[in-house]
Amino acid sequence: MPIIETRNLRKVFRSVKRYPGLGGAVRSLFTREYVDKAAVEDVTLAMEPGELVGYIGPNGAGKSTTIKMLTGILVPTSGEIHVAGLVPHEKRKENARNIGVVFGQRSQLYWDLPLQESFELLRAIYAVPRDRYRANLARFSEILALDEFMETPVRQLSLGQRMRGDFAAAMLHDPQIVYLDEPTIGLDVVAKEAIREFIAQINEERGTTVILTTHDLADVERLCNRIILIDDGRVVFDGGIERLRNEYGTHRTLVVTLAENCESFDFPHTELVEREGNLVHLKFDRRRITAEQLIRAVTERCTISDVSIVEPELEDIIRRIYLEGYQHQAQAPAPSS
Amino acid sequence: MTSISAPPQRFSLKPYLEFARVAFEREATYRFEVFTSIGSLLVRVYLFRMVWTALYAQNVAPKDLSLQDAITYSTVALLMSLVLDIDQTRLIHDKLHDGSIATDFMKPINVPLYFFSDGTGEVLFHSVLILPSLALAALIVHIDIPPPDVLGAFFLSFLFGYLVGLLMNFILNCIAFWTLEIHAVQLIVTWITDLLGGQIIPLIFFPLAFQGFIFALPFAAIYSTPLLIYVGSVTPERYPEVLGLQVMWIAIFAVISVFIWRAGARRVVVQGG
Amino acid sequence: MAERLAIWGDVYRQYWRINVLTALEYRANFLVWFGFTFIYHATALIALWIILQEFPSMNGWNFPQMAFLYSLWMLAHSINNTLFLTVGDVPEHVREGEFDRVFVRPLNALFQIITTPQQIFPDELILALSLFVLATIWSGVTVDWWFVVFIPLIVMGGALIDFAINLVIATCSFWFVRVDALRWIAFQLEQEFTRYPISIYTKGVRLVLTFLLPFAFMNYFPATFFLDKAEDALHLSPFVGLATPLVGLVCFVLAYWFWIIGLNKYQGVGH
Repeated sequence: MPIIETRNLRKVFRSVKRYPGLGGAVRSLFTREYVDKAAVEDVTLAMEPGELVGYIGPNGAGKSTTIKMLTGILVPTSGEIHVAGLVPHEKRKENARNIGVVFGQRSQLYWDLPLQESFELLRAIYAVPRDRYRANLARFSEILALDEFMETPVRQLSLGQRMRGDFAAAMLHDPQIVYLDEPTIGLDVVAKEAIREFIAQINEERGTTVILTTHDLADVERLCNRIILIDDGRVVFDGGIERLRNEYGTHRTLVVTLAENCESFDFPHTELVEREGNLVHLKFDRRRITAEQLIRAVTERCTISDVSIVEPELEDIIRRIYLEGYQHQAQAPAPSS
Repeated sequence: MTSISAPPQRFSLKPYLEFARVAFEREATYRFEVFTSIGSLLVRVYLFRMVWTALYAQNVAPKDLSLQDAITYSTVALLMSLVLDIDQTRLIHDKLHDGSIATDFMKPINVPLYFFSDGTGEVLFHSVLILPSLALAALIVHIDIPPPDVLGAFFLSFLFGYLVGLLMNFILNCIAFWTLEIHAVQLIVTWITDLLGGQIIPLIFFPLAFQGFIFALPFAAIYSTPLLIYVGSVTPERYPEVLGLQVMWIAIFAVISVFIWRAGARRVVVQGG
Repeated sequence: MAERLAIWGDVYRQYWRINVLTALEYRANFLVWFGFTFIYHATALIALWIILQEFPSMNGWNFPQMAFLYSLWMLAHSINNTLFLTVGDVPEHVREGEFDRVFVRPLNALFQIITTPQQIFPDELILALSLFVLATIWSGVTVDWWFVVFIPLIVMGGALIDFAINLVIATCSFWFVRVDALRWIAFQLEQEFTRYPISIYTKGVRLVLTFLLPFAFMNYFPATFFLDKAEDALHLSPFVGLATPLVGLVCFVLAYWFWIIGLNKYQGVGH
C-alpha cells in the first residue's frame, strides 16, 4: 500500500496578461485576458513507506510545484493525490501532522534565541507529548551533536549547525514523511556528510519516508535507492540509480596506462578525451563497442601496463538527459560483436 | 587608493547631469508610489480644510490670519512637502550601510557632488509632481495667489529653505559614517521639523513665550519662513531680516557639512571601506 | 474542541515566552523605542495643544477632551500593535516565499501569523495607559461602573477594528506584490482622521469613518458617550459609543472572510 500516490497530477498557473508600456498597464487594468502555464503537466507516482527517493530535475521542471501539492500548500488543477491516506489540501492540518519539511534556504528557527526555545514552540504547535518530545530531543542531540550549541542564539550559529537544528525541528513530531528541499545547499563537506548521515539513520531507525529534492547529486548517490526525474512537468525516469546508469549512461571511459609511447587512438565509436603523459582517457559508446573489444584493439596497437574502466558520474548522465532529452536514449544496450 | 594620483582632468559637469537624469528616470518608474503620494496629499488638503473651518467657525480670526489664509497656508505647506520631505542624500546612508561607498571613492568623480546630483534628479522629478497636485488641490480648496513680488520672495525663500533642509539631512546622513544606523534619528528629526518648522501649524500660533526661540531655530527656516511670506504675515520690510536668517543657517550648515564629510571620508579611506 | 483550545493556549504561552526573552535580549533598545514613541505622540499632542491655546474649542471640544479622544485611539492602537503586529509582515513573507510554511503546520493560518515571534516592547502601551489615565482625570470623565466595564471592551473592540483593516491590507498582497504604500497611507490617514471629533468633517467623510472604515468607533463615539457630549455628527444615540466591541467583531469577521478568500487564491484553488 503506497504512502504517497498521485495520478495524472496537473497544476496550471494563471496570470493576467500584461501589455508593455504605460498604455499597456492601463489596458491590463480593464481587460481580463489570462495566460495559462502548466508547471506540472502530468505526474503519476507511488512511493512505499520507508523509501528514500531523490526527486530531481532542472530548474523550472515542476519539482517544487509537485512538492507544494504533496504538502498541501497548493491545490492541484486536476488529478489525484493521497498522502498517508489523506488528500493534503482538503485535510491540510491532519496532513501537516504527518509530514516534516526542511527548506534548505529558509530556517524555521528563531533568530534571536537558542534552539531550545524554537523547539518548545514547535512542540506546542504540533502538540507533541512531553515524554515523546524529550526522547526525540535526546536522540537527535546524540546523532546531530546539538548539545555543543544548544544554548547559543541561532544568529550566531554556523550554517551547518543551523541546518542541524532545522533538521531536528522538522523531526520533533515524528513525521511519517519528510520533504527535504535542497538540504545541503551551501554546506561544507563535513557538514554535508553529517546531514546525510542523519537522514540515513532516521530513515533506517524509524522507517520515515524521505523525499529529497536537490541539485547536489552526491546527496542522491549517497542516500537514495530510487530516483524520480522530472522535466517539463512530466516524469521522465522513475527507478533505481543502477537502472539509470545502464539505460542512460551509454558512455564509459577506458583509462589506459602506456608502457611505451603510442600515438594513434582512433578506434571506432571511441573518442580521445584526455592524454597526460602515458595516461590516456578513451570514452566509448558501450552500445556499439564493448570494453573487451576496445581493450583488444588498443593492445593490438600499443603496449600497455595497466587498464581500468571508469563508470560515468551520475551528474554527467543527468546533465545529458537535461540537455539532449530522454526518449531516444532509452534503448537496451546490445552491442553487436 | 586615493593616494594614486589621477592624470589631471578638466572638471566636467557632464557626468553629474547624467547622474541626475538617471535618478529622475528611476523615480518615474515607481508609478504606484507616485499615485498614492498624490492621493494621500489631496486627502490631507481636504482634511486640513475641514479642520481649519471647524476651528474658525465659532472663533474670531487670531493673529490676523484669516480662515482663507490658514487653508492656503496648509495647502502650500503640503505641496512644499512633496519636495522638502525627500531626503536627497539618503544614498550616502544606504551606501554606507551596504559598504558600496568604498567603490565610489575609487571612481574619478567628486563623491559628494555625485550624491547631490543623484538627489537633485529625484527632487526635480518630485517638483514636477507639484503641478498636477496643485491643479487637483485647486479643485478641493481655493488657494490665494499673492502679488508677483511676494511670490518672487516666496520662491527665493523656498529655495533657501530647501537648502537648509538639504544640508541638515546631509549632516544626518554623514553621521552614518560613525553609527551606520540613523533611521530612528532621522524620523525623529522629521517629526520635529514638521512641528517646529511650522508645517502643521503656523508658528505664529505658538505661545508668545516660545516664539522668539522657535523662530531662531533652523527648522523655522525650512517651512515657516517661505510660508509666512506667502500668506503675507511677514511683510516686505522684514524680508532682509528673515531671508538673512535663512542664509545664515545655510552658511553654518555648509561649514559643518564640509567638516563632517572630510572626517567621514577620511574614515572610509583609512579603514578601506 | 477542548483539546484544540489547550493547544492554542500552549502555543500562545510559548509565543509570549519567546517574545519576552527576545525583548530581554535586546533590552538596550527598549529605551530607544520608548523615546521614539514618546516623541512621536508628543508632537501630535503638542500640535493639538497649541491650536487649542489659540482657538477656545474645536466644535465644542477643549484640549483635555481632545486628549481623551486621542488616548482612546492610542490605547486601542497600541493593543493592536502588541497583539497583532505581525499581520503587517505577511506581504513580505508572501514576496519571499516564506509564507508556504504556514500551510505545513497543523494550526490555523491566521493564528500562526499572530504567534510569529517578534521583538515587542510595551513602550507604546505604557505611554497610552499613562495618557489615558491623565486625560481621564483631566477631562473630568466620571469613573463609574459603566466606565470600568465598557472601557476594556471598547479598547479591545477598537483594537479589532485596527486589526481588521490591517488584515484586509495584508490580504491584498495575495494579489498585488507591493502593498507597502497602501499600508503606509492607511496608517497615516487613520492617525490623522482619528485625532479630531468627526463632527468637524463633511457629511461624506463622517459616513465613511462610521460605516466604511469605522475608525469613529475606536474613539469618537465612545468618547462622546463618556464625556456626556451630544453626538452631533450623525445625531445618533449616545449609546452607539458602547457598540464598539460589536463593530470590532463584525469588522474582524468580514476581514477574516476576505483573508480566507486570499488564502484560496494563494493556494491556487480552481486553477
